[in-house]
Amino acid sequence: MARPLARLRSALDARVQAWIRRRQGIDPDPLRLDRRRIYILPTPLGIAYAAMLFAMVLGGMNYGNNLGLGLAFLLVSLGLVVMHHCHGTLSGLRLRLAATESGFVGSEVGFGINFENTALAPRPRIELGVGREPKRVVDVPAGGTATAELSVPATRRGRVRLERFVVATRHPLGLFRAWAVVHCEYAAIAWPAPAERGRVPPGIETDTGGAQEHAQGDHDFAGLRPFQPGDSLRRIAWKAYARGQGLHTKQYAGTDVVSHVFDWDSLPALGTEARLAQLCRWVLDAHEQGEAFGLRLPGVTLEPNVGTAHRERCLDALALFEVSDGRA
Amino acid sequence: MAALERAEPGLRGLPWVIAALGAALAPHVPFLPAWATLLLVAAGAWRWAADRRRWLLPPKWLRVVAVGAVTLAVLGTYRTVNGIEAGTVFLALMAGVKLLETRGSRDLTVLVFIAYFLLYAALLRDQRLPQLPYLLGVTVFATAALMRVHAGTAGDSGRDVLRRSATLLLQALPLALLLFVLFPRLPGPFWGIATGDQARTGLGDEMTPGDISDLSVSGEVAFRVRFDGEIPPPAQRYWRGPVLHEFDGRSWRRPRAQAFPSQEVQYVGDPVDYQITLEPTDRPWILALDMPAAWPEREAWRTYDFQLVSPRRLTEVSSFRLRSYPQFVAGTDLPLSLHRKGTQLPPEGNPRSRALARELAARHGGDPVAITRDLLTMFREQPFVYTLDPPKLADNAMDEFLFETRRGFCEHYASAYTLVMRAAGVPARVVTGYQGGEFNPIGGYLIVRQSDAHAWSEIWVDGRGWLRVDPTAAVAPERIEQNLVRALAADEAAPGRLRDANPLWLQVELTWDTLNDFWNERVVRFNAARQMNLLERLGFEDPDWRTLGLGLAASLAAFFVTLSLYLAWRYREPPRDWPARLHAEVARRLGKRGLVPAAAEGPVAYLERAEQALPDLARDLAAIRQLYVDLRYGPLPNESDLRRLKHLVNRLRP
Repeated sequence: MARPLARLRSALDARVQAWIRRRQGIDPDPLRLDRRRIYILPTPLGIAYAAMLFAMVLGGMNYGNNLGLGLAFLLVSLGLVVMHHCHGTLSGLRLRLAATESGFVGSEVGFGINFENTALAPRPRIELGVGREPKRVVDVPAGGTATAELSVPATRRGRVRLERFVVATRHPLGLFRAWAVVHCEYAAIAWPAPAERGRVPPGIETDTGGAQEHAQGDHDFAGLRPFQPGDSLRRIAWKAYARGQGLHTKQYAGTDVVSHVFDWDSLPALGTEARLAQLCRWVLDAHEQGEAFGLRLPGVTLEPNVGTAHRERCLDALALFEVSDGRA
Repeated sequence: MAALERAEPGLRGLPWVIAALGAALAPHVPFLPAWATLLLVAAGAWRWAADRRRWLLPPKWLRVVAVGAVTLAVLGTYRTVNGIEAGTVFLALMAGVKLLETRGSRDLTVLVFIAYFLLYAALLRDQRLPQLPYLLGVTVFATAALMRVHAGTAGDSGRDVLRRSATLLLQALPLALLLFVLFPRLPGPFWGIATGDQARTGLGDEMTPGDISDLSVSGEVAFRVRFDGEIPPPAQRYWRGPVLHEFDGRSWRRPRAQAFPSQEVQYVGDPVDYQITLEPTDRPWILALDMPAAWPEREAWRTYDFQLVSPRRLTEVSSFRLRSYPQFVAGTDLPLSLHRKGTQLPPEGNPRSRALARELAARHGGDPVAITRDLLTMFREQPFVYTLDPPKLADNAMDEFLFETRRGFCEHYASAYTLVMRAAGVPARVVTGYQGGEFNPIGGYLIVRQSDAHAWSEIWVDGRGWLRVDPTAAVAPERIEQNLVRALAADEAAPGRLRDANPLWLQVELTWDTLNDFWNERVVRFNAARQMNLLERLGFEDPDWRTLGLGLAASLAAFFVTLSLYLAWRYREPPRDWPARLHAEVARRLGKRGLVPAAAEGPVAYLERAEQALPDLARDLAAIRQLYVDLRYGPLPNESDLRRLKHLVNRLRP
């Protein structure tokens, strides 16, 4: 019974949202929430509060009890004050996209929304979500900023779009909820989910020693240098760390510099997605081993390299491979 | 195991909510059954400990059982879950059960709502002035608890939360006052009011020696009187309460059956017009000045024994406009039934008093006036003592008092006197009420306290009707002429002794009483009539409900505008210096041509970009940029540069 109804509701909701989007257009980034776009309604608790006050006023009238009526009126007035405060907490808040976080299909991608409060008063309990239910709650200090990440499940490889999100607050008493719907055009990248381990990477191209000036290999230990983000965990000098010398990365010099090139054409037996999944697995493994790798896709060639940035470039290339998208 | 759910550890705001519930419940405790109080304290303490120690919350079936048990217990005690008494207990116990299953902010919010409602119920019970600070205090506290539950920053101290809660309520106060004055008052009640039997201090319908002296220990106000003209002298200030006819040898009682023929009253001399405001007593008695002659129709009636009675019990502060004649001739014709009632005595008991009565009757040929004279002389000349602390009396109480202890309060004297008169064949009765009162020069009214409670007698004399005889006046004339404190021995504890001895304390007490009187008159008794009256005095001609509606609408509008302005001020941006302000103005003007500063673009970079984009304005923009740099970063920013910058910015017309 409830399922078709819910489906009808969500379909209707989607229609309404599309209409609003057409009418209102895409919001600028950064965006300042002004009073015209903030809606406010009592929460279920606010409705219960109102019902209680109604009973109080009625009872006060019945018993001719003026002090009871006084309390009821004080609470009515408090409710109205709180309504204004709730609205004011949101009104004038600035927000923009801080960063997007890519993720593998099956997990989530993230949109970091940055809130800026230029006012002299803090804006506590700002809720961020896609629908009614808040996913993140942040306090934005007076004259400061705060960032909250909105996670969206990555169901398909390619760009995951965020077309709208909701900024809301129930501050200060939870009796009212003020909210604004932001229509945006943010996109994060969903990488293909890596294939199971098992298939051996194709041939290793080995550079001869000396061809690269500061070549790094596996064979001869050449010393330690301070740890940098992106270094493989396997190369951390744990013994040195245990001695309290801080995090260091072991360096090797050798004639053999392992350098894979993962080629689309080396997997003719698989379909497109399976190929991408396999390439993704190889990229991840090679990066974890601290090996250099390159990627060759039809139309895209990434020269062998190491590091986190390179890994992400490769994963992005896999994610966006042959993604047909008008706006891409 | 689904049944055993672990509570969220460290549920935010829980201690506050428990404390708010406790504060709202406190005034109910004297009215709650002991088991209910114990259960509630236990529930609160347990839930608090469970939160600290992360114990498991009770499973659902246990909560259901608890709800059932509580309902049955309340039904068993009160036979209902409605009304203030049973309703309060029921609500409080439900809060206790709810406490056991509290998991999230929603449950806690509901508990705060219950705290508000318990506070409200406490006000239904008692709305005297001391309740006001209590109301405000608990409201601030409960609101702080609510804020704590939905609070923002976790690091807020308790004092911060209390301060913010108080600030919110302070902002709510103006509208609350306007609503109080302007919200239409409908003449209630719409449904039946079931009031519980509460023991309130005041006169009863029965008098046993010791009752009035117990009452007299209380310094509480019984009623206040505002006279239109002169205040009658103390000796005329007899406030008439229940008249007691039935005697059992020890106690005097008001007859249950009131079906007696009424008697005629002739008024003598000038009337006294006044307004009397009685504190709630849960009895219907209006303590009118003896003898009440005029009273509002339907609000009061006069009994056959001249007591003024309201058709309903006075559970709230009540006020009546009355007219009395201190001098009167009442009931010259005595119907047989009343004669019989007035001479009724138990078949035996108090033999020595009866013997005295027979002797006096024989000596004076049954003349009531002469017998009275002898009796009062006896009280005056023999060593009788007027005291608040008389010895306990046994079986033949009046014999013991008259011939042995000789120490008593007004009820002893009135009782003994009336007994002797009846034994002498004279119709006589005891009248209870109040005598005297203290004038409050600050408020201009008379305060009558419980310590002014009094008992006197009335005898019926052929041709003169019912005559008031106050035997206390013979023993302790100061009691009638001044007050209780002056009449008692100096070493006896009595209410008002401090007031009597210390003029400063007297001032404090009278000021406090004036505030109470103002509260009773202006707040507690505010109603539809007074509402219209107030509007008229505020200058509205012929106000009606439309005036109220208009006033409400205007108040709401003004309130909303003020609040919006306040919030705009609260969320204002910090003031910026002149160069920054002027740059913002330049950006605003250039915005019309589509040039908006990028997120990370400084003023200089922005202006340079603008110069290239808008060649027509390039010269001015370059000058602006140079002045901006000089003012902002130059070694000697000066006034004339700022003036030139303002001029250039104002001239900018993109």
